[in-house]
Amino acid sequence: MQAPDLSVRIGRLTLKNPVIVASGTFGFGQEFEDFLDPSRLGAIITKGISLNPMAGNPPPRIFETEGGIINSIGLQNPGLQDFVKDKLPYYRKVKSHLVVNFFGNTSEEYVLLAGRLDEIPGISALEMNISCPNIKREGIIFGSNPRMAYRLVRRVRKATGLTLLVKLSPNVTDIASMAKAVEEGGADGVSLVNTFRAMAVNIHSKKPELGNIVGGLSGPAIKPIALRMVWEASQAVKIPVIGMGGIMKAEDAIEFILVGASAVQIGSANLVNPTTAVEVIDGIEKYLGNHRIGRVAQLVGLFRPGL
Amino acid sequence: MGLLSTGIVIRNQEIRPDYSLLEIHCPPIATGIKPGQFIMLKVSNDGHPFLRRPFSVYKRYPDDHPRRTKKGRLSILYKIVGKGTRKMAALEKGQGVEMVGPLGNGFTLPPDPPSTNIVLVGGGLGIVSLYPLAEALSAGRLFVFIGGKTRNDILCSADFERLNSNIFISTEDGSLGFKGRVVDLFSFHKKRFKKSQVNYLYACGPMGMLKDLARTLRSEPFVNQGSLESRMGCGFGACWGCAVKTKDPKTPYQRVCKEGPVFGLEDIDWEQCQV
Repeated sequence: MQAPDLSVRIGRLTLKNPVIVASGTFGFGQEFEDFLDPSRLGAIITKGISLNPMAGNPPPRIFETEGGIINSIGLQNPGLQDFVKDKLPYYRKVKSHLVVNFFGNTSEEYVLLAGRLDEIPGISALEMNISCPNIKREGIIFGSNPRMAYRLVRRVRKATGLTLLVKLSPNVTDIASMAKAVEEGGADGVSLVNTFRAMAVNIHSKKPELGNIVGGLSGPAIKPIALRMVWEASQAVKIPVIGMGGIMKAEDAIEFILVGASAVQIGSANLVNPTTAVEVIDGIEKYLGNHRIGRVAQLVGLFRPGL
Repeated sequence: MGLLSTGIVIRNQEIRPDYSLLEIHCPPIATGIKPGQFIMLKVSNDGHPFLRRPFSVYKRYPDDHPRRTKKGRLSILYKIVGKGTRKMAALEKGQGVEMVGPLGNGFTLPPDPPSTNIVLVGGGLGIVSLYPLAEALSAGRLFVFIGGKTRNDILCSADFERLNSNIFISTEDGSLGFKGRVVDLFSFHKKRFKKSQVNYLYACGPMGMLKDLARTLRSEPFVNQGSLESRMGCGFGACWGCAVKTKDPKTPYQRVCKEGPVFGLEDIDWEQCQV
């Protein structure tokens, strides 16, 4: 039997397989060159980039919980200029799609950044972060208000011709209306979920376990909730949904694909098992072979909710 | 590829209350690791705890080691404090253990003039990561300050005796040696080290100890390096979870796992560090 076709289309891109490494968990790529061949990945998403450098949040920035981690890195990044100068050259050697994750503190910053990134060769797509729980300003409002999200995406859409993904926060009551809003704004795809706002307290010192008090929970602990949200979002929109939340192995990824995700992102698992992404690719291929499914695209949404 | 390896447990036994020694056969790390570097060890394959744990290597027997039976082995001296180390204590002979490493920037060894004084200051388990450094030194007079809460927490003193060093011990409860903290004991002795001499100081221990030491060392004639502890996510620079505040104006938060774990004590912004 012929090897299954793992390729998927997102916007104007064709990914060689549906496995993408998530923003903030794959550094700037180079950190993983000892562990895997990045050219095997469907796409690589950068750590989030802002117009100006950001110092990040005070430590402690990470706390382990049952089946997950709470982080409050605070979007530390070198800013656009140093990203282009110091980090981008590495990605150019990698034969995979580069997706730059970016965020602004204001709509103007989002638009400006999208426009600048649009002019830089070597970038396949943009992923707009309107959902990070670790910054307090307008970002959080964009991520939880469908009207604001719609307006912002529409403005950014006009600033770039690149494939545009929007990454959603799970910290909302109605994920379907958020997904619909960014689709109407002109997004080519929607990524979800980002981390859940969370905290932990040290009962001996009576202090928070994180310097920022509140952070974002990720890892297998969130997978069932993430899966439900990806299912709801998939039913609401026609654009591709990229699902993530606690994927540790191929079986987890297949669940997301079955409920409607065209592609998946691997996040926290990269930190624990840095080869997870390639293992997931191999596992999906094997599953398709075993189930005699020729193309992974045929698996998308095959979930059968009826009895 | 390069940094991933699976070792085999040779033995894992309690050596005194709360402390155990894990010996692993893993030639790539036993041969490749340098003093001050560390490894991320997966203490269990069932996903609990979620993260790997950072450890420094205590003794190592590289491929060219004269003790043939020990070749390719390394040991980790650890204290059973939480769910990760409790699971680690359950590892049995013959089991495979996944490791990432060697990681981080280790200690820079001092140049070799025989008149050099080399001071090691270790608090609690911190002394363990200074032992490979002491083993690697080829010249100089060695002064080792070992501190712990009680005499049960004074580790490696017999090892340092074999290296012909001058050993100073402190315990907080006074059950062995000087009663008090190791930094106070060091302060008491620091006049021995003159500006006219070449003095190197290496330290490892809790952040509170390193902070006190940094203060003590101000205007003292030491070239110093401290190995920092931090909660870690990945250990190899991807997540930025282990960051520590430094005095670098361009990148104030630096990664303990990548730019560190060894830093100049004067380069850390101690006022902004939770200790």
